[in-house]
Amino acid sequence: MKIAVVGKGGSGKTTTAAVLARTYARRGHETLALDCDTNPNLGISLGLGEDATEALVTVRDALDAGEEEHASSADDLVERFGATAPDGVRLAVVSAIQNPEPGCP
Amino acid sequence: MRVAFVGKGGAGKSSLAGTFARVLAAAGEQVLVLDSDPMPGLALSLGVPSVDTGLPDDAVEEYQEGGRRRYRLRSGLTGQGAVEQYAVAGPDGVRFLQLGKARGPRWDNSRPHWAFQRVLDDLPGDDWSIVGDLPGGTRQPFMTWGRYARTYLVVVEPTPASLLSGRRLARLAASRGTPQVLAVANKMRQPDDPDRVAAGTGLDVLGAVPFDPAVAEADRQGRALLDAEPAAPAVAAVRSLVEALRSREAPS
Ligand SMILES: Nc1ncnc2c1ncn2[C@@H]1O[C@H](COP(=O)(O)OP(=O)(O)OP(=O)(O)O)[C@@H](O)[C@H]1O
Ligand SMILES: Nc1ncnc2c1ncn2[C@@H]1O[C@H](COP(=O)(O)OP(=O)(O)O)[C@@H](O)[C@H]1O
Ligand SMILES: [Mg+2]
Ligand SMILES: [Mg+2]
Repeated sequence: MKIAVVGKGGSGKTTTAAVLARTYARRGHETLALDCDTNPNLGISLGLGEDATEALVTVRDALDAGEEEHASSADDLVERFGATAPDGVRLAVVSAIQNPEPGCP
Repeated sequence: MRVAFVGKGGAGKSSLAGTFARVLAAAGEQVLVLDSDPMPGLALSLGVPSVDTGLPDDAVEEYQEGGRRRYRLRSGLTGQGAVEQYAVAGPDGVRFLQLGKARGPRWDNSRPHWAFQRVLDDLPGDDWSIVGDLPGGTRQPFMTWGRYARTYLVVVEPTPASLLSGRRLARLAASRGTPQVLAVANKMRQPDDPDRVAAGTGLDVLGAVPFDPAVAEADRQGRALLDAEPAAPAVAAVRSLVEALRSREAPS
């Protein structure tokens, strides 16, 4: 099962995604929570804690820094650059904005 | 005054920006209100009938420079003229200009985007006060959208996620040498909440706005807070924000 939670800013996407993920995990499903927000804070809603959430090396940063072979599998990326949140939910952050570069809007 | 409101989704940017702009305009300033959020919500909090206007594609024309495609205001159109022609007149005399709603995943917003930038670049410096509502989150272009600003107001709630966003925005702004970046502590419930916002973002706090059910109720009714509940505590707090910023933003 793959679920994407979308909606307007502040409408409760992150909160909903976090509760869904932990609920599935509690029911015994192996659960991956992917934070695709460029301003990621799903870790906080999952209960991972503020510091751990902020420290999460993003998958893309690690790739960009050349710390990772591009040929590695998705499983491998999640394994290396994710964190484990309560109830065993595995969390990975897809990308964060670190520098304000001019880019497309 | 040239202010851009930024912050996490749901922090209160549109609610505060709309009220802030109306307060400025009611004090006699010529105010241009900008909605550059592709998911606009500012019209409602400003009290402008929900419009979907934006700048027309032909506000700019294409030209080539160094083999690259560029855009400039179409011949004969000035920033001031574009505001007069395309900005919607709202209560208290505010003028409202919208970037335009996102029109599906393949919406090409490059022309309205450039038109928006060119109009702002061409507006005479001090005749207008500008109040802008920027897209939520820390998406890259917030500096692009907010180039006109002399002050960024980072709207922050006293929650870890909102503080984290505020911290990121403060860092992004600093790395660009942005003029002035201040926090606005919104939805305060406890006396020490503004201190948490200061500590959590590392920013000076311009002022605090209490959690006020009148804001949510105005929102539910689809009305401007100033029209629905002019005596609301949140309105009083926004008036204080305006006064506080007056003394902070260096007159040019
Ligand atoms: N059902 C609810 N009842 C009360 N508060 C809620 C509810 N759902 C979400 N919230 C609150 O609304 C705020 C925004 O929620 P959340 O961060 O999940 O939104 P989001 O859609 O992920 O926002 P963003 O676009 O910024 O990522 C949070 O303070 C959250 O606690
Ligand atoms: N001071 C406040 N007190 C109570 N509710 C508020 C306050 N400021 C904003 N809100 C509510 O928070 C929600 C998000 O506000 P909004 O202005 O749309 O945020 P943004 O533009 O930053 O996404 C709305 O439901 C609004 O009514
Ligand atoms: Mg979210
Ligand atoms: Mg908004």
